[in-house]
Amino acid sequence: MIRLKMIQKCVLPLALFASSTAGASMADHGHRAQAAGIDVVTYPTGVKDVVVIVGVLPAGDAMAQSGNIAIPSLAGMMLDRGTKALDKFAIADRLDNVGASISFAVAVQSLEIHGKCLKKDLPLVLGLIAAELRTPALQAQEFAKAKQQFIGSLEASLQNTEGRALEAFGRTVFSEGHPNRPHSIAEYLAAAKSANLDEVKAFNAKYYGPAHMTLIAVGDVSPAGVEAEVAKAFSGWTGGQDYVRPVQAAIAAGPREIPVPLPEKTSVSVMLGQATGLKYRDPDALALRVGTAILGRGFTGRLMGTVRDKEGLTYNIGAAVSEDTIADGAWDISASFAPGLLDKGVAATRRELQKWWSDGVTDSELAVRKQGLVGGYFVGLSNTAGLAGAIVATIQRGYDLTWLDGYPEAVKALTRAEVNNAIKTHLDPATMVLVEAGTLKAGTGK
Amino acid sequence: MKYRVGSPTGRVAGMVCTFALGWGAAVSPLAPAAASQPVAAGPPVAATGFTFVKSLGGIDEYHLDGNGLTVLLVPDHSAPVVTFQVTYRVGSRNEVTGTTGSTHILEHLMFKGSENFNDPKGNSVKQFLERVGGQFNASTAVDRTNYFATVGRENLEGYIAIEADRMRHLWLRETDRQAEMTVVRNEYERGKNDPDRVLGEEVTAAAYQALPYHHPTIGWKSDIEHVSIGKLHEFYDTFYWPNNATVTVVGDVDEAAALGLIKKYYGVYAASPQPIPGMYTEEPQQTGPRRVLVKRPGELGTVVIAHKVPNARDADQPALEMLDAILSSGKNARLYRALVDKGLALNAGAGTDLHFDLSLHVLSASLAPGSTHEQVEEALGEEIAKIKTDGVTPAEIARVKQQYIAADAYKRDGTAAVASELNEWIGVGDWTLYVTFPQKVQQVTPADVQRVAKQYFNEDQSTTGWFVPVHSGAEKGS
Repeated sequence: MIRLKMIQKCVLPLALFASSTAGASMADHGHRAQAAGIDVVTYPTGVKDVVVIVGVLPAGDAMAQSGNIAIPSLAGMMLDRGTKALDKFAIADRLDNVGASISFAVAVQSLEIHGKCLKKDLPLVLGLIAAELRTPALQAQEFAKAKQQFIGSLEASLQNTEGRALEAFGRTVFSEGHPNRPHSIAEYLAAAKSANLDEVKAFNAKYYGPAHMTLIAVGDVSPAGVEAEVAKAFSGWTGGQDYVRPVQAAIAAGPREIPVPLPEKTSVSVMLGQATGLKYRDPDALALRVGTAILGRGFTGRLMGTVRDKEGLTYNIGAAVSEDTIADGAWDISASFAPGLLDKGVAATRRELQKWWSDGVTDSELAVRKQGLVGGYFVGLSNTAGLAGAIVATIQRGYDLTWLDGYPEAVKALTRAEVNNAIKTHLDPATMVLVEAGTLKAGTGK
Repeated sequence: MKYRVGSPTGRVAGMVCTFALGWGAAVSPLAPAAASQPVAAGPPVAATGFTFVKSLGGIDEYHLDGNGLTVLLVPDHSAPVVTFQVTYRVGSRNEVTGTTGSTHILEHLMFKGSENFNDPKGNSVKQFLERVGGQFNASTAVDRTNYFATVGRENLEGYIAIEADRMRHLWLRETDRQAEMTVVRNEYERGKNDPDRVLGEEVTAAAYQALPYHHPTIGWKSDIEHVSIGKLHEFYDTFYWPNNATVTVVGDVDEAAALGLIKKYYGVYAASPQPIPGMYTEEPQQTGPRRVLVKRPGELGTVVIAHKVPNARDADQPALEMLDAILSSGKNARLYRALVDKGLALNAGAGTDLHFDLSLHVLSASLAPGSTHEQVEEALGEEIAKIKTDGVTPAEIARVKQQYIAADAYKRDGTAAVASELNEWIGVGDWTLYVTFPQKVQQVTPADVQRVAKQYFNEDQSTTGWFVPVHSGAEKGS
């Protein structure tokens, strides 16, 4: 809901696949068109009766800009609390009676829409999504409840070591004003308490609209049917704004260590990394992702293979590139360590990072990882949710559907020199930020 | 334990995984099944060396004659992928004091290599599966342990070969135990960071006194640190046999070919030399309400009310699941209206940890700012009391049944989800409940729901837990 979620672990994009497309172009199997001013993608698959809907429009936390920072989240929370025609219980009734669902979430740049239903109920679900976006009731009583729940969730997050590490990391590596720079929980709490309904109404009017909105339907669907229903449900709707496309974040000038003390925690959450200055489509970005996967993806990544598997210092450790879909993103290693093993764990992590950065990856590592990434790409497309998510990511990154076929080829084409050059060019262990969130006194060691 | 809120789905109590992949393996036992078929008169495919047992709901069951391995085949040709899974009928219910957590540690050691597939050879399970892009993991729960991967259909044989090898040829070395002990201990420590998880474990420990569900699946910390490799080897040699396992294959496979691969790799083993030991402990009758208080740094409190209910196979479970959906599924659910919508709680839920032996039903709510534990506990109790006194409405029953009909279609979307749900039903002792349980839910009446509420939700049988936050003074960010 808030920007504390900004570092979403997505090392590589999912991609698109359906049995009926085996051997054919995936891009040709999907259908993209404008309907009521909305960018609509339809992708039929082999699943029977099931339809998954995913939508995004630029109404995320970053759109608060100089206004009240709680408003984008509160505006999103108000969507399922009734429309001008139906109260929230009536909407729930309509969905429950056919086993369908609709949910909304607010991310850094986007309002995210998720729906699931049987094929026969697609008109109902699209109609309700349209009504909730276009004519939310925005009643004072519901707004008070939304505020209370938002404030409660913020307060609950104060003791979460991973969330607090993310908050501190993002606030350190991204420049002031960059959309990926999260506000602090304290700032969110203050903003939520002072937020008023008029601000939500104004935000809704300004940012919710078809311009720059994408709606994807995957499963037992036909393009003509989906496009007709979207055109009907959203007819006459106007407005909407583009995403925030900032100047590049300032890269950290020197190493910094950020402690986030939290009492009585038995495991410390650690993040070590930096802003990259790279967006997903930048020339070196894919090479950096693949190199990062060799360091920190899965059980055979170097970090798991050494820091966990050989040395037993942690349950989880990994490296990832994140939040680079629309703006330039970040690179980090995330791990957890017992307080008594913290120093040893961080030292082992830095050792592996330095070795990877200095010596680069090997030809054999690259060959194996490329094979695994391409194989995993197709496995990830074997259900409607994975497919829909992959299409959204593709479009938000600014590609057309041909990237669905182009991604595996681009991975296969990468050379060792390209990967090692990307690592050296865009990362610098000497200037990375280290965040440790938890109880930072020595405890019982190994 | 993590309490699911507002969803008509069952839960996997205290499940822990080899890799940190969240709560992905939670099951949906309430999802309605595919239209069930009569038990087939003959096998769907001819398979030498197998005994065909039955077909139900598109699932074919065979037994491997030579060793008693159970095989479930679920053909699904909607995508060229297959999920292969082996479920061992051993969990933390098979542990005793001093060896708590052993099932889970052994699960971790299953990734350290086996005689024919290991890191030095470059073909270990993790090397193979990551090379082919497989999605894989393992998990341990109270009644079962499972290992699974989703791969392209061309990689099925490679994975079966590895999985079969580690069933009987696992490396169990002290050096690996030492390194993995601290890994598991960090998993334990990460769990202890979450006060609600701690509360769940303490409520469970108070609710069960004799049954081994009393201890957390991950084990007590001292047992994690001190269990010997010898004990782990003993555990492996007791439970990791084909006659204590079920393999499940879901996806784009030819049934005869799949059975051929299973016979090729698992058929080399004999059944266990000794019968798989049972667990004969019974829980004594609870004679009064129990209460647990957890005080730790935090901001908002939690209330949990637990009741022991019958095992997962019991005829009353469909009515209990219906009751839970009425209480907590969506905005029209009673707990949402009574607690969340009235500002008493941030969320509220009801669900059952389905077990092979006595299950645990849990009502839970996270306090909203300004509300008290007393208010929330009273509100939860009132909702149960209303059902005991007034029952539920036909409209509520009808709504929930419609949700399950839709879920029937949803659960065919993805091979891993099917395997995961089957895994849980295997663990509680009857995979056919994957098909028949949702059908039984469709038969539930308002009177059934009222009856089970009266029968099981009595104060003298309750265990109530509060997480009471001690204000930490933690900084709220810069």
